[in-house]
Amino acid sequence: MAVIKNAALGIAVFFKKLWADKQGRVGLIIVGLLSVCAVFAPLIAPYDPYDVTMRDDKGLSPSLSHLLGTSITTGQDIFSMLIYGTRVSLSVGLITGVAIAFLGSMLGVCAGYIGGLCDFLLMRVVDIMIVIPTLPLTILITNVFGKSYVVIVLVFVLFGWTGLARTVRSQVLQIKNADYVKAAELSGASRFFIMIHHILPAVSNLVVMSTALTCAGIMIAEAGLSFLGLGNPTAISWGKMLADAQSGGGVLFGQWWTILAPGIGIFLSVFSFMRIGLAIEGIIDPRMKKGSGMKTLIRHMQGRELDELLASMEDGYEQST
Amino acid sequence: MKKGYVLKRIIYTVFVFGVVVTLCFFIPRIGVDDPCARYYPAQGNMDDESYEVIKELTRKQYGLDGSYLSQYLRYLKGLLHGDLGNSYRAGSPKVWALICDRLPWTLVLSVSSMLICFFCGVVIGTRCAMKRGRWQDKALMNASTVTTAIPSFFIALMLTYFLGFELEIFPAYTDQNLVSSFDWSLRSICAVAYNAALPVLSTMLGGIISNAQGVRNSVISVTGEPFIVTARAKGLSRRNVLYKHVLRNALLPIVTGLGMSLSGLIGGSVVIEQIFNWHGMGTLYLEANNTNDYPLMMGIMIFISGFALAANLITDLCYSLLDPRVTLGEEG
Repeated sequence: MAVIKNAALGIAVFFKKLWADKQGRVGLIIVGLLSVCAVFAPLIAPYDPYDVTMRDDKGLSPSLSHLLGTSITTGQDIFSMLIYGTRVSLSVGLITGVAIAFLGSMLGVCAGYIGGLCDFLLMRVVDIMIVIPTLPLTILITNVFGKSYVVIVLVFVLFGWTGLARTVRSQVLQIKNADYVKAAELSGASRFFIMIHHILPAVSNLVVMSTALTCAGIMIAEAGLSFLGLGNPTAISWGKMLADAQSGGGVLFGQWWTILAPGIGIFLSVFSFMRIGLAIEGIIDPRMKKGSGMKTLIRHMQGRELDELLASMEDGYEQST
Repeated sequence: MKKGYVLKRIIYTVFVFGVVVTLCFFIPRIGVDDPCARYYPAQGNMDDESYEVIKELTRKQYGLDGSYLSQYLRYLKGLLHGDLGNSYRAGSPKVWALICDRLPWTLVLSVSSMLICFFCGVVIGTRCAMKRGRWQDKALMNASTVTTAIPSFFIALMLTYFLGFELEIFPAYTDQNLVSSFDWSLRSICAVAYNAALPVLSTMLGGIISNAQGVRNSVISVTGEPFIVTARAKGLSRRNVLYKHVLRNALLPIVTGLGMSLSGLIGGSVVIEQIFNWHGMGTLYLEANNTNDYPLMMGIMIFISGFALAANLITDLCYSLLDPRVTLGEEG
């Protein structure tokens, strides 16, 4: 129970920190809005996006009744499709991201902490997987095993954990010899216990950051696959909307909003997750974010800290004399 | 550089390549029970017996007869002779010939985009690193989150709309006579450049910013090293230190990374090539996908992976030559 309570507390503190960060707040707000859209899509969308019977209304320009016009090929309401598209994008992105985080952190921690043969084998697998080009592989596998989001998510997870596992492993190698880990080993804790209670919390920030960035990457990849017509052909996704707009002649007939709308959807979702990821990066490693070292030092030294610094220097002077 | 290290590295690369080939070979065979049936669907007016005969003939023609193991050994043997098998398309052309036909066109796009990104990235990145923490630097940081969030195929579509159809500066779709009428005259080279403008532009934007970001971080980390302080302290000018000491060290990882990124570009330009109907590897791969042409798909995958591995190997060896501080590859 203590573990769960600690974890909950950690998550609360984490969100507080994220909210305090300007980038993180922007990201959180956009993600919140998008998830509201995804969950309450039937309530928000004014039309049924799956309804392809409105053939008379195809290719309409934006108006009050159709906020973003209608699609060129089948006459669906683009605004409604945009709202429903959040479902595919967010679900594929989040499910894949979380699965990769789980797999990557577990294997990374195992490789780093256990070491030896386990480490050797895992890293060789990583070397092999990194070489194989992901997009062609995904196309090949959807060709062989059928077009569905399950297949796509599985491929993304199976071939996406490698980067995270590498980073986690190198991080674990750094903290493996820390005093508190050694203390836990000496007091007889099992390897599994140490991995769960000591190593995993230490890399958790890193994992969360990379999860946010992976989600963003996966969303772009999913849009690309749907754009190529390799996603689920019956689902409504932003990539497929772009493909329909392109093949239906959205560019040719000057209906730029049919392209802009899904593009903005993709942009917002990816952008928000990247903002969150970068905000966490800033929280973990403030050196990457702040300006020149001297300036921040001076800023820190202004106010209370400066007095403390001077006091401690005087103390040291007195002690030495 | 130690001889043993080079040898070990090469053997390891060959091993990884073997595993990749095996994977590429067996993935279609696991999922597709009978490639012949996909290639040659049963016709209505045909009895089972003659269909079987036809399928058997097709199997022989494409090397699909015998057990998986014997097929695999035959494929490996062909690979050693530089033969990636025959495509399923009409006339069953060699996969290798098809790839060679398309590769230059993809390289035109990816190499030119890579070079532009590299040079612009170095200039912008260095400036931002010098102005660290000021508005230029912040602008780069913000731009990098924005540009990486925009998929390149969306940029490509918007560019075709604005530059291709509205302003009519560049052709929105590639001229299909471009490939057949290409001779090495100045005019056709100009025509290629003119047609390649939009595809390159649409991949460039993100590439420049991410390159600049990489250069910036690299320059900043080198600037903090003691030998830079020493160089400044002994009275060298800022400019001198920047060009002779900082950039030389900071650009090393970036330049060596170029080879790796090139192999990524060959595989990653599938979507862009499809939008502009560019006569490259990406469209070849999609054509193969649409016609269930597994030997061609396998061949392209193996080719790209082999390219990546070779680039990786050369990069590593060059790196350990150029930068003796690099610990010789024991840590993965």
